Amino acid sequence: MTQPLSIRGVGAAASTLRLPAAAVNAGWGRQGGRGSSAVCAADEDSLTLGWQAAVTAIEAAGIRPDEIDGLWWGTSRPPFAEGPSQAYLASALGLRAGIGGALLAGSQHSGIEALLGAWDAVAAGSAGTVLVIASDALVPSLGSAFEGRCGAAAVALVAALDGGSASFTVRLQSTQPVLDRYRGDAEAETRDLYDSRLFREEVFVPTVTAMAERLGASPDTRWSLPDPDGRMGSSVARKITGQPPVSADIHAALGDTGAAASLLGGLPALGEPGPLAVITYAAGRCTGVLAQVDSPVPGVHQALQALSRGREASYVEVLRARRQLIAGGETVEMAVPPGGAQFVRGNPEMLGLLGARCCDCGTVNTPPSIHPVCIACGGEKLEPVALSRRGVVHTYVVNYTMPAPFEAPLPLVVVDLDDGARVMLQGVAPGEGIEIGAEVRLVLRRYTVERGVPVYGYKAEAVAAVPANPEGGD
Amino acid sequence: MAWNKVAVIGAGLLKFGELFDKSYEQMAAEAFQAAIGSVDKGFDPAMVEAAFVSTQRGTLWGQEGIAGNTVPSAIGLAGIACTRIENACPSGSDAFRVGAMAVASGVHDVVLVIGVEKMRDKSSDEGLLARAASGHPVYTRGESAPVLFAPFATRHMHEFGTTREMLASVAVKNHYNGARDPYAHFRNEITIEDVLSAPPVCHPLGLLDCCPQTDGAAAALLAPADRAVEFTDRPVYIAGFGVATDHPYLHEKASFVGLPATTAASQRAYEMAGIGPGDIDMAEVHDCFTITEILDIEDLGFCEKGKGGVMSIEGDTALSGRLPVNTSGGLLAKGHPIGATGIAQLTECWWQLREDAGERQVRLEQGFALQHNVGGRGSGVSVVNILTRNER
Repeated sequence: MTQPLSIRGVGAAASTLRLPAAAVNAGWGRQGGRGSSAVCAADEDSLTLGWQAAVTAIEAAGIRPDEIDGLWWGTSRPPFAEGPSQAYLASALGLRAGIGGALLAGSQHSGIEALLGAWDAVAAGSAGTVLVIASDALVPSLGSAFEGRCGAAAVALVAALDGGSASFTVRLQSTQPVLDRYRGDAEAETRDLYDSRLFREEVFVPTVTAMAERLGASPDTRWSLPDPDGRMGSSVARKITGQPPVSADIHAALGDTGAAASLLGGLPALGEPGPLAVITYAAGRCTGVLAQVDSPVPGVHQALQALSRGREASYVEVLRARRQLIAGGETVEMAVPPGGAQFVRGNPEMLGLLGARCCDCGTVNTPPSIHPVCIACGGEKLEPVALSRRGVVHTYVVNYTMPAPFEAPLPLVVVDLDDGARVMLQGVAPGEGIEIGAEVRLVLRRYTVERGVPVYGYKAEAVAAVPANPEGGD
Repeated sequence: MAWNKVAVIGAGLLKFGELFDKSYEQMAAEAFQAAIGSVDKGFDPAMVEAAFVSTQRGTLWGQEGIAGNTVPSAIGLAGIACTRIENACPSGSDAFRVGAMAVASGVHDVVLVIGVEKMRDKSSDEGLLARAASGHPVYTRGESAPVLFAPFATRHMHEFGTTREMLASVAVKNHYNGARDPYAHFRNEITIEDVLSAPPVCHPLGLLDCCPQTDGAAAALLAPADRAVEFTDRPVYIAGFGVATDHPYLHEKASFVGLPATTAASQRAYEMAGIGPGDIDMAEVHDCFTITEILDIEDLGFCEKGKGGVMSIEGDTALSGRLPVNTSGGLLAKGHPIGATGIAQLTECWWQLREDAGERQVRLEQGFALQHNVGGRGSGVSVVNILTRNER
């Protein structure tokens, strides 16, 4: 019997854009379509969503990032198909250089695998406090049924052997060699292989129903059930309980968020005491876990609120944001190639948002790599510091005239940070709420994909301006 | 006592614009011929001992490596000493300053300073706009040139109540002057309403708040003051100059309502010339954007900090005003071929001091004209040159 895994904090993030399924259908000359899906803005991806969820989970757990022993991150589509995805995320989160853990990828089952991996490490005693991130930002096959359902979001948990307000207690798995939702090597888009009725009748419903029975949950259990097409989840729920699952509202608002979907769907249940069952199905693997919630998990209300944000976008805007619709003509190359030495020097200080504090006069110089001496006093002794991620707008502009790949409007903001440092960064487009004196937070975003490489940095976002989604949850 | 060790014996330029039919070398040769032709008593090109060439950004036409080196051959003087000066937007004014020092040192007698810039050989997107892609990998992508000045407009408006109309009045005045300058890129008058309704470029600046990208070249001939009479009976002297730097990144600025490099450079120039801002009869200042001219006239001491917008909209800087500014049309109307800009501004000052400026001619009282550039990443460098027609 595995030891339980105790949850100390939770965080979540949904991508910015909301795409109504009806808008996708209309784009392909089809009628109808229910619900909407959360879609990444051009500067969001699985890594930035995971970062956002993790920052709030760590804050909710009341710990410092350097107290975390391991990061388990599950995402079907890491931003680097092969590359330093995990190291980038760990660096941006301020985790210890000696951090353990693993990046689980390759299918939408990877989110729950991250939880199980972290759970094993805690049970084995190789990690004390762990961070679990399940995030996804898939690019769906154009014109497919999946396209109107494909959502992008993240959920993060801070967990340990004990000390939390809810615990995972039971885990079961089943495996069968079927090919369902998949992406081939060198393909950009994720698609479904089977006819949806074939998949539903022969694979999905029997597998998930059997897992629900094996879990032996009590009648008062809240269920988070997978729902790849917006209908299969309720079919299973009818068979199990006759009630809609606790995950129904989130799935209706955000779509199928892939590796994040099952843990995200269980989020509402972490806010009320009682049992929770989470079933994940993807890539021929089915995992069921049971949790017992003793009291609301820290962070759950903010997490639900975070999911309720977002703004409706047109189908064209979404296609552009996903880079499925690209303007003709050439783009300018960034002056600093991601493979160059200047990037090697600059990238860690960007991801970590580092400054150099003068040991003589206290002035914070940013970024450190171009400041061998203090700009205020000429002092030569400087120590690296992580900058505050909140501040106030000193001045700003909105740039409308740039060559591709830049997209207008692009706000650029000079921010006086709470720790006295001043930085100039891009603002989150379109810059709503950005004005002199406005409070802003700095959020990790993908600046660009340069020579095939994603480039990340922080952007300023007005604290007051995060729009609420009128149809969102909470 | 003004410095007055070096005289400007000739100056000239070619009409600025989109000179698709002229090469870098052809522009250089035309500007050189214009300068030679302006010398009152005639000039033998073989007298030029050294040239200082300012070209700011050879990448704008794809020839960063050779820009500058090709000039002596192109103007028929292969063999002379030649050095390229690159110092951001003040490149031309700094080449002039360095040329003056070369003459004053006694190393050379007759020196050519020549600025040449090809900005329209590539498409707009590949030109200066592509600057958005430059920068440190950390801070801040998306900084096209207007981003270096627009934050000052936002803050100046916030702190001093400067209005969009006040900014627009700078563009209206400079286009009025440009319409009277045969060398200007734009020779049309505009209204405040035109400026306010122009498409946004970088909020709060619109299209007519911004100077164009322009091809152009300008040249000046310098000689020791005591030899000026060999060339002209109406000499103009270099009364003083100053160059100053500042922290280069915007987030390191002490404030967003002024440019310390301009103030420091002008103080050095005033001190060298033995005068103050009240002695200036006219000024050619760096108006790459409307807000820049407002910052300039404050930082150069022509009005109190914060009052530049009011000074502009009330007409104090117009041709007939208390202190005419950018009589040539400025960068906004005449154009800003970067390496040529400073020398073209100095040419305008030279014409004004010799009362050769035609319908743009201003009234001279003290006999001093000031030329100013500021630029580089975050306006980290400024050059000020002061010319005079006074003998001492």
